[in-house]
Amino acid sequence: MAQIKGDRLAVTRRTALLMSATALGGMMAMGAGIRPAAAADQVLRVAHPVFDMDWSPLRGGGAHQRWTSLWWAAPMYFDADSKLHPYVFTTWEPSDDDKTWTFTIDEKAVFSDGSPITAADVKGSWELAAMPSTKNQRINQLLAGVVGYDAITGGSGTELEGVVASDDRTVVVTLTASDPIFFMRIANHLAPIVKASEARDDNGEEVTEWWAPDAGGVFSGPFKLVELDIDGGTLAFEPNENFFGPKPKLTRVEIRTVEDAVTATALIKSGEFDAHTELVTSTIIEDLGADFAAGPIIPTSQHFWMDPSKKPFDDPKVRQALILAVDRNGLIKASFPNGPHQKTDQILNSVPGVDEAFEPYPYDPEQAKQLLAESSYGGPERLPKLMMVGISSPANEAAAQFMAEQWRQNLGITAVEMKPQQDGYSGPDQANVQIFRDDVGTRVPDAVNYLWGSIYSGSSNAQNKLGGYKNDEIDALLVEASAKAADDPDRIALAQKAQRLFRDDYCFIPWYQQAMSRWAKTNVKGMEKNLDWQVFHPWNIELV
Amino acid sequence: MLRYVIRRLVLWVPTVLLVLLGVYALAFYGAGDPIKLIFLRAPGDVAYNPARIEAIREAAGLNQPFLVQFGNYVLNLVQGNFGNSLVSGRSVWRMISAAAPVSAQLGLLAILLTAVVAIPLGVLAALKQNTALDYAILGSALFLWAIPAYVAGPLLMVLLIVLLPDITVPYGWGGLFDVRIILPLLVLAFQPIALIIRQTRAAVIEVMTEDYVRTARAKGVPELAVALRHILRPVLTPVVTQLGLIMITIVNGAIFVELVFGLPGLGRLTVSALLNNDYPVILAITLIGSFLVMASNLLVDVVYPLLDPRATDARATK
Repeated sequence: MAQIKGDRLAVTRRTALLMSATALGGMMAMGAGIRPAAAADQVLRVAHPVFDMDWSPLRGGGAHQRWTSLWWAAPMYFDADSKLHPYVFTTWEPSDDDKTWTFTIDEKAVFSDGSPITAADVKGSWELAAMPSTKNQRINQLLAGVVGYDAITGGSGTELEGVVASDDRTVVVTLTASDPIFFMRIANHLAPIVKASEARDDNGEEVTEWWAPDAGGVFSGPFKLVELDIDGGTLAFEPNENFFGPKPKLTRVEIRTVEDAVTATALIKSGEFDAHTELVTSTIIEDLGADFAAGPIIPTSQHFWMDPSKKPFDDPKVRQALILAVDRNGLIKASFPNGPHQKTDQILNSVPGVDEAFEPYPYDPEQAKQLLAESSYGGPERLPKLMMVGISSPANEAAAQFMAEQWRQNLGITAVEMKPQQDGYSGPDQANVQIFRDDVGTRVPDAVNYLWGSIYSGSSNAQNKLGGYKNDEIDALLVEASAKAADDPDRIALAQKAQRLFRDDYCFIPWYQQAMSRWAKTNVKGMEKNLDWQVFHPWNIELV
Repeated sequence: MLRYVIRRLVLWVPTVLLVLLGVYALAFYGAGDPIKLIFLRAPGDVAYNPARIEAIREAAGLNQPFLVQFGNYVLNLVQGNFGNSLVSGRSVWRMISAAAPVSAQLGLLAILLTAVVAIPLGVLAALKQNTALDYAILGSALFLWAIPAYVAGPLLMVLLIVLLPDITVPYGWGGLFDVRIILPLLVLAFQPIALIIRQTRAAVIEVMTEDYVRTARAKGVPELAVALRHILRPVLTPVVTQLGLIMITIVNGAIFVELVFGLPGLGRLTVSALLNNDYPVILAITLIGSFLVMASNLLVDVVYPLLDPRATDARATK
């Protein structure tokens, strides 16, 4: 070891080497450890991208909502082919005017504690989801037309008068207006059926973490939550022995938070995980194979929305110039060169009513240049800076950079900025953002519903991303169409006409229609998802 | 000493109030409304209805003026109530008390590792000044100093997975005695180790030229005893001060390290709260961070006189 030599403390080379080797060996032994044997059979290990500290099934959104079908039953559900299946409700009957709907609960439907799912639970679940303090992000898609919804969602009521439990197994819903597709609107997991007496407090508000195992959580889906470390970002599910549907094939599902996409990809490759909640990278196919990202195209599409209320998009010729200056074949190649998403020219996709005669925006740099010169801005020099938001993933960045480069080359526009979050600009710039990258879609296989959430003046998209866009003719067409039966050909024809009118307003750069990826390795079967972004048959998931 | 500690604690209160006011104002005016963010950041088919958003804001008490909100916050804080998260509705105190022990264990262990590794290496480098060993230690320290935690963490993680595919990936938290703590601990301690090595080396070299060291050697005191008793003790004073200040580096580094290695500590909670502008959580973390820095400085001040009696004399004179 250390020796005293003359006036100096000496460490021999041999000692130093020995110490180094010991330290290194210790670190390897402690820090590394040999990887455990392959995971036990039928245990699905999932990497989750968000440190979610709230797994309530009543939020109607968030990354955790992707797994709602594991542990909660919906009223009904669609499969990958948009075929409707009964679930908690076995029958649904409209009145002659489509304003009153009667639903019957499956007599076998029970919660995980064995108690029956009653009409009061359905009413309580919906009321709770509609209350402002529950912060459900999409409850209007289900209940916006129900009598009493406006009061409860506005905070002035706690009861949906339009939902009546006429007996334990019968729910009668009264709407403010005729809605022939109301039965489709509730066929999703945005507000699944929970045990109301457990989830609501005396004031009708949601009990904090009522769904946690420690709180005695009672569930309606095929799995039950058995372990929860919410501060550590881990959850474990096991089969619900009282589930009223098919017996799950998996014996356990473990979800662990891995925020970083690169780390998650590496962990999946190394065998630590079998699946991912939502992994969006430009290289996902090269990294994890085509099968990992494969999935059906769902009625959701991504576009770049132009706000016509902001300069320079207050001039239609500028909007048109910017659209025509982008080669959209190049755009999809730049962002998803190997899929799984596909280029689209229109908003509608994967629903009855996709417009085969829709005329795509051409790629015409010369005309674009001419339009910009003819605009009130006279050319690129006088245009204000273009600001894009929602550029929040590598694929989004690739697409946005491609467009900026096309505008530079074809139009001479050089002042373009991009930010990841919708709130990414601060100060005066916040109010001047002109381009929003975002998706639109529908959880109902219906063209009118799709456009109602995209270009109708009351939609969130029209109000926020399109700066209060309102085309009276489009609104009138959609209102007229929405009163027609789901299978009425006029319903589709009116929707297509509305979409063509929107095209002529030049307010968006179409990008891609979305594949609902499996995000699971090849050995995971039964991970197919539906337009509700859920694994629609979670009991069929298995490892082979 | 007790009076001194109490005075420091009392002085900390207005400081932290000012810091909280600043953070609250930044969150309130700058980062955006947390309720709106929940809806704006969700994919396109979300129900962004202004009336509904306003009702949710009202239910969360966010429609009140800034000063009223801040005043209520401070009042609650005085009563030991940190409030609830605006995003998850969970008790902030519960969130903090779950995350803080992880960060505290990691941070303290990183400081311990820094002291155990860096001080001997610094002394060794000084004693072997201008030799190959000195250059190797200094070179390594400079190399480590140049790699911040947000680079070292992901890099090591990817390298480990790529180069050693049969090794368990150190992801997640299993306590102090779990193997997975080694890598994050090393990453967290990289820069502090480099700093302390350099500081210790410089201090030892300076002290080695002092008269009392020469006298000790002249009296025939063994070199090891000279090093430990006469050189190391005065050297430890500034080094311990630095170890206290390193807490800030470690708190900052923990944010990246906890994210990369999936550790459920305050750093990870901070990122999540910042992304969601969940300001009850941000404020609580600010408070804890401020307290940690103050406490570590105070600890240094308390330990300082034990290492250097002159400090006690100076304070007494003052």
